[in-house]
Amino acid sequence: MVQVDLATLSVTEANRTMRQLAEQGHDLEVINPDARHHIGVGLVAPVKVHIRGSAGYFCAGLADGARFEVDGNAGWGLADNIYHGSVVVNGNASAIAAVAIRGAEVVVKGNLGSRAGQVMKSGTLCCGGNASFMAGYMMYGGRLIILGDSGEKVGDDLTGGEIYVGGKIQSLGSDVQQTDIGRDESDSVMEFLERYQLPFSGELKKIVNAGKKLRYKNEEARTRPIPFFTFSGTADYWNHKVQEDIFIKSQIGRYRIRGYGASRPLPHFTDLAFKHDLSAAGTDADVLDKIDLETKIGDKSGATPLSLSMPVMIAPMSFGALSKSTKVALAIASRLSRTSENTGEGGLTDDQRREADQIIMQCLGGRLGWNIHDMRRANALEIYISQGAKPGFGGQLMAKKVTKELAEIRGIPAGIDLRSPSRHPDILGADDLIIKIEEFREATDYKLPISLKLGAGRVRDDIKIALKSGADFVELDGSQGSTGASSSEVLEYVGIPTLAAIQEALDGLAEIDGSGQIPIVIMGGIKDGADVAKALALGANATAVGTAAIIAGGCISCMQCHVGTCVVGIATQDPEHEKRYNVPAEALHIHHFLENVRWQLASIVDGLGYTDFRQLGRDDLVALTPEAAEITRLPYAPEYSRKPKPFAQFKTLLTERF
Amino acid sequence: MLYGCQHRGRDSTGFALYHEATADQLMLRFLVGDGSEAKGAIDHIKEILQEYNATIVEEETIGNNYRVRVIFTGDIQAFSYALDHAAKVISVGSSLEIIKDIGDAHQVDERYHVQSSLGTHGIGHVRLATESDVKPEAAHPFWATGFADIAIVHNGQITNYWKMRRALESKDFEFRTENDSELIAVFLAERLSQGTPLEAALAQSIEELDGTFSFLVSTKDELGFAKDHLAAKPMVKYESDELVAIASEEVSLNRLFPGQTISITEPLPGTYFTWSK
Repeated sequence: MVQVDLATLSVTEANRTMRQLAEQGHDLEVINPDARHHIGVGLVAPVKVHIRGSAGYFCAGLADGARFEVDGNAGWGLADNIYHGSVVVNGNASAIAAVAIRGAEVVVKGNLGSRAGQVMKSGTLCCGGNASFMAGYMMYGGRLIILGDSGEKVGDDLTGGEIYVGGKIQSLGSDVQQTDIGRDESDSVMEFLERYQLPFSGELKKIVNAGKKLRYKNEEARTRPIPFFTFSGTADYWNHKVQEDIFIKSQIGRYRIRGYGASRPLPHFTDLAFKHDLSAAGTDADVLDKIDLETKIGDKSGATPLSLSMPVMIAPMSFGALSKSTKVALAIASRLSRTSENTGEGGLTDDQRREADQIIMQCLGGRLGWNIHDMRRANALEIYISQGAKPGFGGQLMAKKVTKELAEIRGIPAGIDLRSPSRHPDILGADDLIIKIEEFREATDYKLPISLKLGAGRVRDDIKIALKSGADFVELDGSQGSTGASSSEVLEYVGIPTLAAIQEALDGLAEIDGSGQIPIVIMGGIKDGADVAKALALGANATAVGTAAIIAGGCISCMQCHVGTCVVGIATQDPEHEKRYNVPAEALHIHHFLENVRWQLASIVDGLGYTDFRQLGRDDLVALTPEAAEITRLPYAPEYSRKPKPFAQFKTLLTERF
Repeated sequence: MLYGCQHRGRDSTGFALYHEATADQLMLRFLVGDGSEAKGAIDHIKEILQEYNATIVEEETIGNNYRVRVIFTGDIQAFSYALDHAAKVISVGSSLEIIKDIGDAHQVDERYHVQSSLGTHGIGHVRLATESDVKPEAAHPFWATGFADIAIVHNGQITNYWKMRRALESKDFEFRTENDSELIAVFLAERLSQGTPLEAALAQSIEELDGTFSFLVSTKDELGFAKDHLAAKPMVKYESDELVAIASEEVSLNRLFPGQTISITEPLPGTYFTWSK
């Protein structure tokens, strides 16, 4: 056993030392821990670690295989996301012990704080004392054994797994029921208690899911999809789409679900124009050689940045919402166009990793697919706070798409209407976010950039927190951004447009003298190189395309992504439908589209007389509508929206003005 | 303890410290800035002191603070509202002094010699400025504007802020910031001024304030905490015959006992408690 002394080493130094020693097979003893955070985070060797005192937040977090023992207490997020191995705490554990564990045995001899075992997937959490409220909140699997009293709302909205309570059940949570305990189960629990020397002689009560909220009661009637362009942008109140909408609601009696983002007309980059005459743009065949579009993002705090051939990434979309084939095509296209792919909520598959050169791995509140090994093979990490299509809401994945393979990657039961939590278990304030980011940095040895994905709601406030959190960059998503499934009212009416989002972010940073201190990647309805150029000119550091990329790869915009029977094999997990998707061909289509975006962007930069996209600025832009002018404070110049025919006349107009 | 908690914020740091009171005397602390700005503010303060028949016993300028001990026996609320129009009042009390400024715990301690101060009890805070700019007046602890000797530190967010504030404003209480921590302080002070014991006022705060919060309150003779029902903001407590210590995290408490494993408890959601001197 080798000693690691936290009176002389920082936690980061201690974790590095522990990793090296553990790789050589040494058992470890941590002295003077004094309740410091992140002890043992990311330790993935099968050694023993004895912590001689109390541990702070995320002790043994993101570990795999090690066996920890803590003499004192443990802070928030004990054993966060641990895979295999064990953690024994002789004192108490604070809130969200065993959050999102994917295996392993976690034993707390004293009491548990609130929300113990939140979103756990498998493994065992056992406590000798009492648990505070909402133990087993939204758990997807595994077992939770509480030998004392349960606290309020035990098992609230759990999907899978079992909770056993030895003492009093203060109250049951939503969608759970008490049930009989089988002889085998009881024996298995007793064997566990014996193994960890937890004395218990009473009767256990068992709590499981009651099955009332796993599925929507009424299926939505299938209609012949009325495509996007036939109903958007019209002032006609009772158009076909509106009638259809009211009719379906009258049948199902609940909110409707659909894919895509806001479809009603919203102020957008289309409502901006370049002030200067771009009629010569696009005539130079060598424009790509002249213009510098390369950019690096994410090195603010010393991590290895993403290296992008142009300020255009692929937006986060999950394997789940999309078929694996589509994700692979996006990965290939990202490699061919030398930009980055993003996992979205669905975890990282080997195929995606192999095909993409650079991949951002997204971490959500449900921690679906999130694990230390995939984190370490990603090129950047992204903490999803929310997304433009549905800011403040959790994810939805309808049962048809929750196949066995997908369920396995995410660590959840197959065949449920999956609802992911709307918030992170361990990020309830800006200070928590800082501690969480630090955990991810510890787990990946400070090598990976960490971004925050923000759905556009209260951007002015959120961006200030993002700056303070220590994140390396922000991905900001406006309400034109799409999703695989959400309530249609939320898609249309919750959140603010992309154009407003970028402006608010820039204003918020300026208010605290933070301009330029955190790169912003803007996304949500960006459809071509002109949109990209305008976003950059407004002040974004980069952009991302999601919907545009899948349309390039064959999507027909029917907006039925949630149903799971996508006719082109994109938003489906049905092998019969997926086989219609030609991966190499669609990968090339997406690549071609990205190259077109590159060419447009370069031509505009060139046409404005610049050699680097970073020279684009607000002075290059005007607003074509009063709304866009109000949002961006750009000069309102509707004359720029005149049709460019005859071209000469347009040119004269420009010459007159400047 | 604040060093141990520094990872939660290092934009500003503050202390509310309690000394033995001297009869009929008040210690006033102001934020006056530097140079000519400070001089103007101090002159203005002195005019108000004269107007309210407050006699200066001692005075000192330290950092960007002006600290003055006065003999005063009148209506403290009217007096302190008037003073606040002269310069930003940080604290008013017969035994309370609030020291707060931008910077981490080390920097503020160095600037104001906090370590050398002797007293009976106190509360402290490190702040991560997320919504407003980094300013000394936005630092915690907050004094209960208009009420002597009451201070508060708070982690969380009061979501019915405006509703509660309007109710208090309709009773002629004034607010100096839009910070929800000031609201908690004034809310409690108002109840105390009505003769409600601190313990009962804390119980009422949990029912009447909406949002998520963990806060500590101190008065001349008492120290208390309250934690909302959701318990989203952490709080841990160490208690022995000699000492009560409360912090957001055990790592702070452990600073008092380096190298030792201490026995701590976590107050349950929706609970409160008070200790008397």
